Amino acid sequence: MVIRRVRLVLLVVTLTVLQTTVFTHLRVFGAIPDLCLVATVAVAFEEGPQTGAIFGFASGLFVDLFLATPLGLSALANAGTGYAVGVFQSGFVRESRTMPLVLGFIGGLIGGTIFVIVGGIAGEAGFFSLTSVRVILVAALYDAVVALAVFPFVHWANHDPDRGYSRR
Amino acid sequence: MAVYRRDARRRPVLLIVLFLSLVLVTVDSRGNGLIDSVRRVARDALQPVQSVVDSAFTPLRNAVDGIGGYGAVKDENALLKKRVAELQGRLLRQRAVGSQVGELGKLLDLPTIQDATGVAARVISGAPGNFERTVVINKGTSKGIEVGQPVVAGNGLVGKITQASGTEATVTLVDSPGFGVGVRLENTNERGIAEGRTGEREMRLNFLTKLLPACEKNSSPDTCISQGEVVFTSAVANAAFPPDIPVAKVTGIEKKTGDLESTVSLRPLVNLNDITYVKVLRWPEPTVG
Repeated sequence: MVIRRVRLVLLVVTLTVLQTTVFTHLRVFGAIPDLCLVATVAVAFEEGPQTGAIFGFASGLFVDLFLATPLGLSALANAGTGYAVGVFQSGFVRESRTMPLVLGFIGGLIGGTIFVIVGGIAGEAGFFSLTSVRVILVAALYDAVVALAVFPFVHWANHDPDRGYSRR
Repeated sequence: MAVYRRDARRRPVLLIVLFLSLVLVTVDSRGNGLIDSVRRVARDALQPVQSVVDSAFTPLRNAVDGIGGYGAVKDENALLKKRVAELQGRLLRQRAVGSQVGELGKLLDLPTIQDATGVAARVISGAPGNFERTVVINKGTSKGIEVGQPVVAGNGLVGKITQASGTEATVTLVDSPGFGVGVRLENTNERGIAEGRTGEREMRLNFLTKLLPACEKNSSPDTCISQGEVVFTSAVANAAFPPDIPVAKVTGIEKKTGDLESTVSLRPLVNLNDITYVKVLRWPEPTVG
């Protein structure tokens, strides 16, 4: 259990470092992927809504420390996404190689939408615009692509030797 | 077949994290010293790792940029050579005028950009999120950088410092939505506010002190706005920016039927998508926020 948590913490730190360094130079049509959001989707896919929401909150909070937007905004978006994906996944049991692609895209859409709506209400300038819709869509597609790489890492980090892999 | 299982125990967890998030968003939106301190500590702690990772990926990034941008760089090089020749000529013409302006400035004791000392810094990364127009620089409070200080590059205004830790600082770019700069027009000296626009790299000139039409063929440039005219930061008391920093140039003047005034579009003089080095000014009267 402890080893699993340590690995998940290291995963969040690694993804945040990659997002704040490498991916800032790899923009596609002005958008970059949200690696911790994708990791949240993967955790929610394996563990269900409760763990998905908690992991999303923690990972989002950590990413928020490096963003110019208010602290808690990514935490809220990731927690909501983790919960939503977890609920969806606990109801539908599917095994497919394209599942990371689909979940990455859906998670990107949910997370981006929550982020923009709450950010706009909190007074962030320019959030309520057509540009935001475009950015959410492009970022969700990007999230889907990086999900193919992130999901296996999350699967490894989430593996608990004492209980094996779980999926609810 | 879909099987939906309701689990009432999940909801309190979701409600707690949503509530905590909303509290944090609300508190941080209003500004909070404790949150700022936590941010600074986290950034300083991760900065060495970020630096190593960034350095490790630099050759790969350069290779990708080089392959993708070879043609553009070649064209840009030719354009720049032509531009350098033009500017050298203009510089010589302006020297005479500049010396006179300097004399007058001293006589009137006006603060100028020359009065502001600065810290040179390198841009180490762009915005880590999708909904902000920022860059991160490799100098922070340990080098005297503070929130609110103006940031310039060789040919104009870049933005201002909005977050600073010991080792790095975040610069909000001048074309960010919600960012406003007090400016004056080059020819008429009329003042207005240059504001960033959502999703656009162009800015808009608003709140001009006088309604001015677009220049036509025989118009005197002192009575109208012309394409290509430069706007500079204006000199007002307690301004966030030193006066006379070039900000942007006029790229469009449009007056639709029924509009009271023209819509003036501006393009920042600095290529904000490709900045390597900047200077953070220790402006004598910085305005925080």
